[in-house]
Amino acid sequence: MFPNKRRDVGFPILGSLVLFAVLFGGGLIYQTILGNGSAERLVTTMLIDAIIVIGIQIYIGNTGILSFGHIGFGAVAGYAFAVFAIAPEEKLKRIPMAPFGLTDVQVSPVVAIIIAVLITLVFAFIVGIGLARSGAQSGSVAATVITLALLFVTHEVAKSWPELTGGNRGGISFGIGDSLQSRWPVLLALFGAMLVARLFGQSRSGRLAIAAREDNLAARAMGVNPLVQQMAALLLSVAIVSIGSALRVFEIGSILPDRFFFDYAMLTLVMLIVGGRNSVTGAVLGVAVMTAARELARRLGQDGFEAFGIGLDEAPLDWIFRENLNSIVLGVAMVAFMIWRPKGILEDWEFDQWLYRKIGRGAESKPERLSELDTVPDAAFSASDISVSFGGFHALTDAGIDAKSGEIVGIIGPNGAGKTTFVNVITGMVEPTGGRFEIDGADLSGKQSFELSRSGLVRTFQNLRLFGALTVRENVETAALVAQEHRSDRVLRSTDALIAEAGLWEHRDRRARELDYGNSRRLELARAAAMAPSFMLLDEPTSGMSDSESITMIEQVRHMAATVGAGVIVIDHDLAFITGISDRIYVLDQGSVIADGTPDEVQANPQVQAAYLGSAAIT
Amino acid sequence: MTELLQNLIDGLGRGSIYALLALGVAVVFGIMHMLNFAHGELITIPGYLTFWAFNNGWNWWTVVPLIVVSAVLSSLLIERIAFSRVRGATDFTMLLTSFGVHFIVAAGFLLYVSASVKTIPRPGWFANTVSVGSLNIEVFDLAVIAVTAVVLAGTTWLLQRTMFGLALRAAASDFDTARLMGVKSDSVIRGAFALSGFLAGIAGVFWIMREGQVTPTAGINPMLQGVLAVLIGGLGSLRGAVLGGLVLGLAEVLLRSWLPLGIQNLTTGFVFLMIALLFIFRPGGLLSVPQVERV
Repeated sequence: MFPNKRRDVGFPILGSLVLFAVLFGGGLIYQTILGNGSAERLVTTMLIDAIIVIGIQIYIGNTGILSFGHIGFGAVAGYAFAVFAIAPEEKLKRIPMAPFGLTDVQVSPVVAIIIAVLITLVFAFIVGIGLARSGAQSGSVAATVITLALLFVTHEVAKSWPELTGGNRGGISFGIGDSLQSRWPVLLALFGAMLVARLFGQSRSGRLAIAAREDNLAARAMGVNPLVQQMAALLLSVAIVSIGSALRVFEIGSILPDRFFFDYAMLTLVMLIVGGRNSVTGAVLGVAVMTAARELARRLGQDGFEAFGIGLDEAPLDWIFRENLNSIVLGVAMVAFMIWRPKGILEDWEFDQWLYRKIGRGAESKPERLSELDTVPDAAFSASDISVSFGGFHALTDAGIDAKSGEIVGIIGPNGAGKTTFVNVITGMVEPTGGRFEIDGADLSGKQSFELSRSGLVRTFQNLRLFGALTVRENVETAALVAQEHRSDRVLRSTDALIAEAGLWEHRDRRARELDYGNSRRLELARAAAMAPSFMLLDEPTSGMSDSESITMIEQVRHMAATVGAGVIVIDHDLAFITGISDRIYVLDQGSVIADGTPDEVQANPQVQAAYLGSAAIT
Repeated sequence: MTELLQNLIDGLGRGSIYALLALGVAVVFGIMHMLNFAHGELITIPGYLTFWAFNNGWNWWTVVPLIVVSAVLSSLLIERIAFSRVRGATDFTMLLTSFGVHFIVAAGFLLYVSASVKTIPRPGWFANTVSVGSLNIEVFDLAVIAVTAVVLAGTTWLLQRTMFGLALRAAASDFDTARLMGVKSDSVIRGAFALSGFLAGIAGVFWIMREGQVTPTAGINPMLQGVLAVLIGGLGSLRGAVLGGLVLGLAEVLLRSWLPLGIQNLTTGFVFLMIALLFIFRPGGLLSVPQVERV
């Protein structure tokens, strides 16, 4: 579940403790200095907001999908909690005719929270299916609108179902003295939320979700099913938001539809965005910063407020500093951050990972070179009669190739010959109009790309698709995590060794998007190798490289494939490169295979010469 | 039969307003790939101006141009101040920017105007009906449908027959290529926002008339209906946006009349449920635009 126990479990626990201590400690100091009841309430409110914001971070941060709907889920949980936890005599005043006989039900607050979480999870599961159907992925607009609609539905239902909710004005309330009197449950839930959020971010599921956030297509090509990871993130995040929302209702002592609507959705989102949505540390920082900013604005808006001995309520400024000033602060903060720092103050900086790099990791030594496998596991790939047409244009007509483990098969053809389309077909990214392909006799046609890569067909991309915000090591680790689950019958090489093998050891902690072109190509190769593939499909692995770089790349490809025991299918339009690397070559022209054989045979073929050099060459 | 016809006309009236709003959202989405959550502010801002104008002795004849012009200007102003700075940013950033703009405008009115409801007098003919056979048709619905038809015809002409329309459609289908072909990106984007504001202005005239009031958060509902209509019709399709608006209006009215009395106040909930079902069976919307994944 966790690639590295110390880094992914130990330090997150330590980090969560520190983070918790800092936030709570800061609150305690503030409330001691001011020493009044309103300061104490402000701190409690901040701690509860932090639970909810951290909950939202689990979803938005790890999937990249903007959700307004979490506060809608919060409303469901809040009402469920209130209806179950409030004493019957209080409910008789507001909702005497509650459906399902709920008026007479009362359970302890803890049980009520559990019920609330379970009910909300059922809703979240249904909504999650809808999101998946809408093709949700990072930045997906349709998914965001679905969550926005969810927020409105819950609000609308809460308003127009007074038999259960007490309606728009009355709501339902705890009896006097029945609401939350102690801070302990909040503190417990807050620490739990921090811990869960951090552990999820480091876990297998979290890492795969983050990979899909960075590049959905590449993640699927690495055997990740983003929809499953998104659902996991959604359910976990909704569970925490539900607990936070129940506590919020418990602490306030009552619930109204407007408490879980636009304004609160905005507040929690701004907190998350300001601190840095891709980091739990950022979410916590955002909560602290925005709580302080809003409190300051609220005080500025009060009459007679002075800051540092200067009265800000004098005549010329009076029109600005009014009551409700804090509400506009939210909007301004949101737009200002989006324009000048869209990823928030901390971006994706995580306290515990920083600590790990500083003190936890110790010195690392470069791994030994990997030896090539003595016995390569047998595997055979075969594609036959593959046809693809886009409208009336036939990109591929009855194309087919065979490849077996241990050999390097080249596919060559001029631009537009159908090479990339062919790779796209056998990696599940383009649906063929006809034909079939198989590994070891098992039919793979019609499978999705993540299933194909799990069966051993792993590709690289002509125009580079790395997980940009992740480090080199995290890129390779993502593939290794999938391999552990789905390729465990193969020889799995250590992540670090593969990184060293690709010549990237010095760059292991750099973000993939900071790499130069050649290193990016090598990282794609290492990432593909970490999948322990039966066949690596390399789509123009040397495009944009100089001749000398290409020659090194040939050796690297050959060696990398041999260390993981993979066959290679390589595509290029460069005749010299393909003949230099391949054992056998297929020549594609205008969508059909026009020749195949050893490099020498193919080069001697007149049809190939015609396709490459023009018919003048053979007359 | 009579009731059904009556409902259809009602629904078309309602849907026409949504269609105008949705088309405005879709035009901006097409050019910037930003779903504008601040679209409703193009009704809130003119709404407050309308309130001010009536207090200063204006009447509907003068207020209508005021609404339309102020909607266009607001749209251009918001683009200039906020959206022009996040052009080309991630979808996430643009969504949140527009959401933030909504919030600033709403909080601004709350803070510097008033939190209370401001009423706006409806025109004298608002509640009039005309009888056709056994049908009682509201003049308001007829006016909405007729004006919308004219505006949509005009917009179609603008998009299909003018250089601006061609530039806008080209930029919507591939912004970078359009720029390389000499389309001036600034002016096309501003034109799109002006058109979006104009459509919102026309919708706003009817919206404000029908509501007869304005509040700081008045923009939320028209925004939501517009955005939902765009999704129902199919993100990225202008025709889909109009269709989505009409379908949404019809669905609301028909559902309200079919639902049993006890749960009629949950109509909105059921409309959302229907939309959810639509998304599950046809995720791309009614006229879905095929999304090509670039490998």
